[in-house]
Amino acid sequence: MRCGDFRESYSEDMAIFDSRLPRVLLGLLLALLAALPAFATTYWLDVLNRIFIAIIAATGLNIVTGFTGLISLGTAAFLAVGGYTTAALAGKAGLPFFVVVPLSGAVAALVGLVFGIPSLRLKGLYLAVATLAAHYVVEFTVTHWDSMTGGVNGISVPAARAGGLALGDDRHIYYLILVLLVGLLFFAKNLFRTKVGKAFVAIRDHDISAEVMGVNVFRYKLLAFAVSSFYIGVAGSLLAYQARIISPENFPITVAIDYLGMVIIGGLGSILGSIYGAIFITLLPELLRLGNDALAAHWPAAMGLFSQFKSIVFGLVVVLFLMFEPDGMAARWHHVKNYWKLYPFSY
Amino acid sequence: MEFFLQLVLNGIVTGSIYSLVALGFVVIYKSTGVLNFAQGEFMMLGAYVCLALTVEYHLPFPAAFALTMGFMAVLGVLTERLVLRPMIGEPVISLIMVTLGLSAILKGVVQAIWGTDLRPFPTIFPTEPVQLGPLPVSQGYLYSTASVALLLLVFTLFFKFTRSGIAMRATAFSQQVALSMGISVQRIFALAWSIAAVVSAIGGVLLAGVRGGLDAALAFFGLKVIPVVILGGLDSIGGAIVGGLVMGVLENLAGGYLDPLVGGGAKEVAPFIVLVGILTIKPYGLFGKVKIERV
Amino acid sequence: MAVTGKLLGASLAVAVAALLPSHPRAQDIKIGGIFDLTGVTADVGKPFQQGVIDAVAFVNENGGVNGKKIALVGVDYGYKIDQARAAYKRLVNDEKVVLIQGWGTGDTEALKEFVTQDKIPYFSGSFAAPLSDPAKFPYNFFVAPTYSDQLRAWLAWVKKDWGSKPGTAKVAFMFGDNAYGRAPIAAGKAYAKEIGVDVVDEEVLPPNFQDATSQLLTMKQKAVDYAYINVTTSGVRLVLGDAKKLGLGIKFGSNPYGFSEILVAVAGPLAEGVTGVMPDVPYGDPVPAMKNVEAMHQRFRPSEKGDTMYVRGFSYVLVWSEALKRADKAGQLNGPGIKAAAETLRDFSTGGLTQPVSYTSTDHRPTTTTAIYQIKGGKLVKVAEYTLPRKPDWLGL
Repeated sequence: MRCGDFRESYSEDMAIFDSRLPRVLLGLLLALLAALPAFATTYWLDVLNRIFIAIIAATGLNIVTGFTGLISLGTAAFLAVGGYTTAALAGKAGLPFFVVVPLSGAVAALVGLVFGIPSLRLKGLYLAVATLAAHYVVEFTVTHWDSMTGGVNGISVPAARAGGLALGDDRHIYYLILVLLVGLLFFAKNLFRTKVGKAFVAIRDHDISAEVMGVNVFRYKLLAFAVSSFYIGVAGSLLAYQARIISPENFPITVAIDYLGMVIIGGLGSILGSIYGAIFITLLPELLRLGNDALAAHWPAAMGLFSQFKSIVFGLVVVLFLMFEPDGMAARWHHVKNYWKLYPFSY
Repeated sequence: MEFFLQLVLNGIVTGSIYSLVALGFVVIYKSTGVLNFAQGEFMMLGAYVCLALTVEYHLPFPAAFALTMGFMAVLGVLTERLVLRPMIGEPVISLIMVTLGLSAILKGVVQAIWGTDLRPFPTIFPTEPVQLGPLPVSQGYLYSTASVALLLLVFTLFFKFTRSGIAMRATAFSQQVALSMGISVQRIFALAWSIAAVVSAIGGVLLAGVRGGLDAALAFFGLKVIPVVILGGLDSIGGAIVGGLVMGVLENLAGGYLDPLVGGGAKEVAPFIVLVGILTIKPYGLFGKVKIERV
Repeated sequence: MAVTGKLLGASLAVAVAALLPSHPRAQDIKIGGIFDLTGVTADVGKPFQQGVIDAVAFVNENGGVNGKKIALVGVDYGYKIDQARAAYKRLVNDEKVVLIQGWGTGDTEALKEFVTQDKIPYFSGSFAAPLSDPAKFPYNFFVAPTYSDQLRAWLAWVKKDWGSKPGTAKVAFMFGDNAYGRAPIAAGKAYAKEIGVDVVDEEVLPPNFQDATSQLLTMKQKAVDYAYINVTTSGVRLVLGDAKKLGLGIKFGSNPYGFSEILVAVAGPLAEGVTGVMPDVPYGDPVPAMKNVEAMHQRFRPSEKGDTMYVRGFSYVLVWSEALKRADKAGQLNGPGIKAAAETLRDFSTGGLTQPVSYTSTDHRPTTTTAIYQIKGGKLVKVAEYTLPRKPDWLGL
């Protein structure tokens, strides 16, 4: 029985896992996830894939918004850049999966770098609106560059291919996404134990102080945008592989707002928060829809009613969450964990 | 030339409605520091309430309009009391999100009550155009521009000369100072929200009247006004007015001259590009207060 | 937190209830429905869905599919492609539906590869011409002339309406910036050139636009005589209103999702004289099957007004339930069987609700006959009907 935190060195304080139990639990979780496709129906596999993709993109957004404090409404745009790059590289150039995905991320990172430039002068809401401009510019490009993007009709993406194998099946995609997810989360978690990550946090907490302390604000803000956009671009690429067709309708501004919701509800500046938020926001409409459909199966007139109910419930959950747990789900999880960790001697 | 003038004129009239809604944003931001993303939904709700009162309860339009304003004022106060008050002191991004959540609720409620179909809106303005020099102008737009101008004047006077108006400006300047002068900051917050709700509802009714029909698409107008307030500066009432007019004209010029060249869509994008250009020179908008930060 | 917890609990409970499969009798034929009730096309998507639901009830009450009942599993996808895809996967893989009643152009085209791979007959509310080419979309069907043929017919009407006036009629196309909006434009331009009508302008109407003045001003500058508005009702209403404000004398026409009784209701006097393409008769038109449509509408929706979107939903069910009957008789109540059965339809009558419907294994154009209606005195009046040749090189264009 543990009864408190006894950290005696900096390395202990920096450790991701402070005891063996979380390691074991994490291993178990991974094993469970690896075994899941054997049981899940196609629909649930599809939902899981979308959750994983959402986690990657939400982590990306959290890097720039949660850790560096730059509010971004450009998530949908960077997803689109990743997705369309994938359509071009995999479809037109015929490159394999493990080449296409990082390249898509890199292109998104480049675009993110460009759209991050206003952050040098703009702050807070003004910056948020500048990233909103980025969204509309990307949307405009995507709908008008017909030869590359297929315009409003969208463009289809071939099945993922690696080492001569076609991996178009949902199950295959699931494993590909899972591997990338674990890798990217591991990288993000460690990023904030390095100098770069700490610089990000310093900028969020007070950019002028950070500059005084010798952090090159200019460089690190752009770097935050680039890293964040890389994650989001990878997510966009996976989205393209999973959906097999993408069109501008996949990337409306509401997507950017949903992602902002994920990181805020999950917990700003917390990797775990991105995970919880992504799961929650992706799953909520699915569950509501399932409830809706079940009701509609017995009472068809309910179909129309429930779709509005969906919007109301979504809004209510967001509002109530912010009111009662403003620090996000990750913070709540932390409280619960600590309570039980020290139970019954929680003082 | 006539084409150009017509575009500018049209830009000014749509821009005046932008200004009105932008005013709602600014009033809230100035006194409470919240950017209200549910403004578009306030517009939509106001228009629907007015529509229901005239069509379903057969009230004459002026009575329905007055009742709608009363309803929106109460709703504004309730929103502040129930949703925003508990959020005082939270980071700005949480405040944004809470208004986004609010917008989802309002949208759902409106759709649950009135459905998603386009509803004919009672004709409050004659549809025949009038000639303004060589240019035909819709009477609806003229009336709405005139009412917007009137409202903006009223608000300017309100902020300059009334007790509440001065109290609101004091609160915006410094909440602590306002409190120590005996101003009830809570009351000011509630007042700001109800003013914003009323103003957006007026905008919603005007817009629905000009369009002649009403559906959920009206709420998107709120999103379009956000670049307007940013252009003018989040905390400047004059900025909201100028920003609205500039954006309206810009949008129409882009639509008239660029759209045919690029195959459409420029009307949406061009204002944003100009906006970012202006922001890089003036990071707090045209008239926004420059924040001086100290460590 | 307690409140959030309760809310979560409640939604979880609903979800768990949802996970328990609904128990239709083993005899039931499961059909999937992907509708738009909350998205940008909800104004026309909702009456269409009501028509489908009521027609399913009608078919079930009148003998069903050779005695078997149809069980409709409907989903609202809000006109979002990713949601349509998710709904599709669930309907096909988990609910095991044998046919899907779908909706928009973008999502229908996006689902093409899945539909072909899973061999699920897919009846879309979209009439985009590519969907009628079985070489590219073998499992896609719809019940109307293609959008392209509709625009061709409207242009033929323009030509006739222009008559012997000097010069050629100047036409503009106004369309939404999406797959549905752009679907017939290329075909329309080609055909206009063929018959000698001048397409002088194309104007894009952005999603959720509130104001079309700048577009209309450009058209005024180009002295446009006729314009085809290819968006849904709300947008058409807005264009008509703005045109009136500017005092333009353009004659407007619209497509089957912009032109209906709903337009008369929302546009009132503005709609006077507007022409439109109607693949289905207006609600209340004295055709033989209308009494069934009216009976169902009055029974289930006594307080609402019927419109042609409702008729359209109804007619779709009549067509695919016939395919189900034929497939069932052949003992092939599965995807390929239903597709084959649908392709045996020759001049199948929907009781006058639509033109007679034919599909073959090489041509899924149900008909090439398009009726043009005009709004006169607040009523939809048929003014012309064009039967275009079934040209092989127009298949899919």
